[in-house]
Amino acid sequence: MPFMEFVNFYLMPGIVLGSIYALGAVGITLVFGILRFAHLAHGDLATLGAFAALGVVTIFGVSPWVALPVAMIFCAFMAIGIDKVFYDYLSERPKIIVVMSSLGIALMLRALVQVIWGVDTETYTRGIVRPENYWGIRIRDREIYTIIAMFAIVGVLWVFLQKTKWGKAMRAMSDNPDLALLSGVDNRKVTMLTWAIVGILCAASGFFLGINTELKPLMGWTMLLPMFAATILGGVGRVEGAVVGGLIVGIVEETSVLLIPGEYKAAMAFAILLLILLVRPTGLLKGKVL
Amino acid sequence: MSQSVIEQSVAENIELPGYSGKPILTMTGVRGGYGDADILQGVDMQVSEQEIVVIVGPNGAGKSTAMKAIFGLLKVRGGSIVVNGTNIAGWKPNRIVQHGVCYVPQVDNIFREMTIHENLEMGAFLRKGDISDSLERVYTLFPDLKERRSTLAGNLSGGQRQMVAMGRALMLNPSLLLLDEPTAGLSPKYMEQIFEITRNLRDAGLSILLVEQHAKQALAFADKGYVLAAGSNRHEGTGQELLADREVAEMFLGG
Repeated sequence: MPFMEFVNFYLMPGIVLGSIYALGAVGITLVFGILRFAHLAHGDLATLGAFAALGVVTIFGVSPWVALPVAMIFCAFMAIGIDKVFYDYLSERPKIIVVMSSLGIALMLRALVQVIWGVDTETYTRGIVRPENYWGIRIRDREIYTIIAMFAIVGVLWVFLQKTKWGKAMRAMSDNPDLALLSGVDNRKVTMLTWAIVGILCAASGFFLGINTELKPLMGWTMLLPMFAATILGGVGRVEGAVVGGLIVGIVEETSVLLIPGEYKAAMAFAILLLILLVRPTGLLKGKVL
Repeated sequence: MSQSVIEQSVAENIELPGYSGKPILTMTGVRGGYGDADILQGVDMQVSEQEIVVIVGPNGAGKSTAMKAIFGLLKVRGGSIVVNGTNIAGWKPNRIVQHGVCYVPQVDNIFREMTIHENLEMGAFLRKGDISDSLERVYTLFPDLKERRSTLAGNLSGGQRQMVAMGRALMLNPSLLLLDEPTAGLSPKYMEQIFEITRNLRDAGLSILLVEQHAKQALAFADKGYVLAAGSNRHEGTGQELLADREVAEMFLGG
C-alpha cells in the first residue's frame, strides 16, 4: 500500500478520532485524579453536549461552530448541577456507590436526549463535504478544526492548571487531598470548578464526534470504553497522558482494520486497556495506581 | 517585657533566664479521638510565646493525636483549646490555619507532583496579594530549597522533603507551628539540621509544639516538655528537668 494512502485513509482519520477521544479522556482523568472515581456518565454527557449544539443550530439557524460555545457552557452547568444533586450528596459514601450512581446518570442523560430529540440519527449540516488536498494529504476542513481545537482546548487547560491559583489548587487536590485541605483549599470550589471544566470538555468531545460523523443517542456511550482506555493508557491524573492515550487509541482503532476485520475495531480499545493494565498499570506517563 | 527587648536579645543572642511570654496555646482537659473511643483522656498543655515545647511518650500515648486535636482533625469531646485568646476546639482546619496555627503532618506532608516553589505557593493559598516576602523568608531559612525551586518535591531526599513541608507551613506566617515527628526516618545529619532550623524559628519569634521520637535530643533544647502516657499527662517540666528525672529517663527515654 502506498504511504500516502495509509496517511489519508488510516492515519488521519485515526488522529481525528483520537482527538475526540482525547477531549473525553482529559475530562475522565480530571475526575479520576481530583474526585477519585470512574465517571461512567462521561460519554452520555458528551452526547448531551452534541445534541445541545444541535438544538442551538435548529432553533437559531446558526452555524454549528457558533453553537459549540453555547453547548460547552450548557454542559458545564449541567455537570455542576448533577454533582450538586447526586455526587456531592453521596460524597461521604464509598466510592463504588458514586461510580454506580454515575451509571444511573448516564442512563438518565441518554433518556433525556431520546425524549427531546428522538432516537433517529441527526446531522449538523446536510450534504457531503469533499476533502481538500494539501500536498497529497486529503483532509476535510472540519477534521483540521477538530485537531486544532483539541490542542487549543487542552493547551488552555494546561496553562490554567500550571499557572493560575485555582489551577494549582486542582493539582494539589489531585496530588494530596488532605494536605490541600490543611492548606485551606476549599474542596467544594475545586469540585465545582472541575465539573465545569469536565462539562466543557464533554461538550467539545461530543460536538466533534457529531460534526465528523452523525449524532446518535448512543454516540457517547460507545466512546466510553475507548476514552477510559485512553485515560489509563496515558496514566490516571495526567492531562498530557490523556491526550497521548487518546491519539494512540484513535490511531490504533483506525489502523487495526488493515490487519483484522473492521467489525473488531471497537475491541481494540479493550485490548489496549487490558494490555496496559497487565504491563504497566500506572500508564505511559506514570499516573496514579488505581 | 516589651517586644523590642526580645528582638534585641535575639539579635545579640542573650539568654533570658526565666522568661515566659504570654501563652499562645492553652489546652485544658482535652478529651477526644477517632470514632467513639477517646484516645485523649484529659490532656493539659501550654505553649508560650517563643517557646519550643516537646511532647514525648511511648507509642500510642496520644502524642500525634493531641496535635491533631489542636488542628481540628479529630473530634474533641471535652476541654478547651485556646489559641491567642480564642477557644478553637471544634473548628475546621482551614479556619484554624487562618487563626495562625500551621501543622506539618508526619507523613504525606508535601505535594509530590508539584515543584518546591508550587508547594510553598500552596502554603500561602489563603493569602491574598503578594507573597514574595514569605517566599524570601522561607528561602533564607532553607537555602537548599531556593537552588532547587523548580524540582518536583517528590524527587527530593527525605530531609529536603521535610524542609519543603516546614516551608509550606511557614508561608502563612503562623504564630504557632505544630511539627509531628519532623525527624522520623532522617539521617543524623538532617536531624541536626531540622533541629537547628526549629531553634532558629523559635529565636525568630515563633512558638513551636513538637512531637518527637528522638526525645533526648529534642528535650536538650526544648524550653518545656510534656510526657504523655495512655492519653493523659504523666510528667512535665523544662527540657533539662525531664532529662534529669530518673523515672522519666527509665520509663520513656530508654534508660
